[in-house]
Amino acid sequence: MAPATAAPRAPAKENGKAEATIEPVLVVSGLRAYFQTSSFGVEREVRAVDDISFHVGANEIYGLAGESSSGKTTLIKTVAGAIRPPLRVLSGSVVFDFRGRRVSVYDSDPQVMDEIRWKHLSYIMQGSMNVLNPVRRVRHSFVDFAFRHIGRKMPEFMDIVRTHLQRLHLTPAVLDAYPHQLSGGMRQRVTIALATVCRPEFIIADEPTTALDVIVQNGVLAMLRDVQREIRSSIIFVTHDMAVHANLCDRLGIMYAGRLVEEGRTADVFKAPKHPYTAHLIASLPRIGYVAARKGLEGTPPNLADPPSGCRFHPRCPLAADICRRQAPPMTWSSPGHRVACFAAATGSAQ
Amino acid sequence: MRGYSVYLLSRLGQFALVVFIGINISFIVTHATPIDPVEQSIAAATQYGSTSPEAIAMMRQSLRELYGLEGSPWEQYLSFWRRVAVGDFGPSLSAFPTPVSVLIWRAIPWTVGLLLVSTVITWILGNLLGGFAGYYRRSSLLRFAGILAMAFHPIPYYIVAFLLLIVFGYLWPVLPISGGYMMNMERAFNLTFIFSLLKHSALPISSLVLVGLGGWFMGMRSLVSNVVNEDYVTYAELGGVKRRRILASYVMRNSLVPQVTGLAMSLGAIFNGAIITEQVFGYPGVGTLLISSVHAGDYSLVLGITTVSILAVSTTVLLIDLLYPLLDPRVRTV
Repeated sequence: MAPATAAPRAPAKENGKAEATIEPVLVVSGLRAYFQTSSFGVEREVRAVDDISFHVGANEIYGLAGESSSGKTTLIKTVAGAIRPPLRVLSGSVVFDFRGRRVSVYDSDPQVMDEIRWKHLSYIMQGSMNVLNPVRRVRHSFVDFAFRHIGRKMPEFMDIVRTHLQRLHLTPAVLDAYPHQLSGGMRQRVTIALATVCRPEFIIADEPTTALDVIVQNGVLAMLRDVQREIRSSIIFVTHDMAVHANLCDRLGIMYAGRLVEEGRTADVFKAPKHPYTAHLIASLPRIGYVAARKGLEGTPPNLADPPSGCRFHPRCPLAADICRRQAPPMTWSSPGHRVACFAAATGSAQ
Repeated sequence: MRGYSVYLLSRLGQFALVVFIGINISFIVTHATPIDPVEQSIAAATQYGSTSPEAIAMMRQSLRELYGLEGSPWEQYLSFWRRVAVGDFGPSLSAFPTPVSVLIWRAIPWTVGLLLVSTVITWILGNLLGGFAGYYRRSSLLRFAGILAMAFHPIPYYIVAFLLLIVFGYLWPVLPISGGYMMNMERAFNLTFIFSLLKHSALPISSLVLVGLGGWFMGMRSLVSNVVNEDYVTYAELGGVKRRRILASYVMRNSLVPQVTGLAMSLGAIFNGAIITEQVFGYPGVGTLLISSVHAGDYSLVLGITTVSILAVSTTVLLIDLLYPLLDPRVRTV
């Protein structure tokens, strides 16, 4: 594999941000996680996360994009250590650095991880409308998740929660409600409040706004960004919605069929996509004043149980050459802070 | 609150309808049986020695009057409802003239005691073990328990009862095999009597628990293994919530809702008695009473027992339905 895969870059000037990133908060290197099932003696292996390396800096929002079943959710689940059979991690490492405290997710005791969770690392799950216990009041969720991390007496703790909810434009009355009594948008905001009340250094957000209409989505995103600015945490933000990425993320990683195919600062990726897949993804976005019909990409994502040889994108790629069918392209730096896994991009013909 | 009173009213209406239909069916069924209590009594009285046909005819006439079997079926039906309304089921025909209600009240404490204890033990144990087995799916001990439960479940319970009788009554005779307490013992509220009571109930209770456990165990296990995959459980695990808390407040709490309905149903069925268990262990409960009343063609007693159990089952189901909103907040807003 390319030598440059995991190397955190020297602090590039981030768009508009004063803070420079020296030490990344999260370093993922060579991560492989497969779904391994065997039924009636037939072994099946779905390579949902295949040799992925990236890092996330402090105070940074890192976006992960890609179409459905490209492995986004599996990747961040693996990063969060939320592995359940049949998903298995085969190799690679995930190391967090919480202000000097290094935690390697797959070398730590479960107790250490339990202690880290929510205090330093919180998670907003896909379908975050259904993550609250339906038979208990919202207040109990806050107590279960956050009480032991905040280390105050109960009345004081509830005051902290109430203030936090108000900051997110939620009335403290939601604490006494059951989840089914709240609307979908409110439940998502409650979930975001739950994920941020301990002011964690790292938040993993998996499509937190996918089921919402654009107005509510906008509000939730603005709220998430405000909280992130205030508590200065890092976020991995997953969605297939490129417009959301363009508005929210500092850097963007594009996944295709279980692999990271391109990564760079959001503006760079949108302005000058290097990988033909990224180029198509961006070209499919509607733009104001542009009336020609949008082009879709032929074909469907490959079956990850039996991925194509070489570059996994080659069956759908207009630029596919002979080498693409035989060999998987390595990640290479095309410009500072921007890397891509494509042979065509290396020769500069992806545009 | 208006929603709840509408719910309450419609639920009460349902209750009345179910009770009415149920009692009617038992009235029709008992009166349609080919066994005639009058002829049964005459047969018993004339078993020894010969009686003149005139005397028999007179006896038949006076017995009919006594038993309240005079008049058309419609008149009998109306007088039956009049009596039910005041809780009087008339005299027993086989143990004349003891009132049916006295017989039933005498038997009920035995049956309720036996079945309440065994049902509650079975329910708690089965749900706890099943919940653990569903949550800790990789524990080999709990897997073994699952196999045991599955093996025991299909065995008819009288077989288990006989097995227990053979083992603890014959091979290793440590427990009494029959009766509710030691014969000729004075029924007083003291330690020796209570001990005798417990000793006599040990075998019937264990046979009911052993057989009943499997059903609750397997039901709870499959409920839990579904709930474990719910988003809120995964999320709590990701949140580092304590495992014990997840098991109790997230997994068990959500799985328990259908199990409580099941408990209500089996609590209601208590009043029917575990007929076979009571027979096998010679237990003086409602089951034994019902069997003997059917054999004797004792209409009034059969009707009394069925009416009491119809009322009991419907009332428990009604109570559980009314309590349901406390258990599952989502029902409250309907």
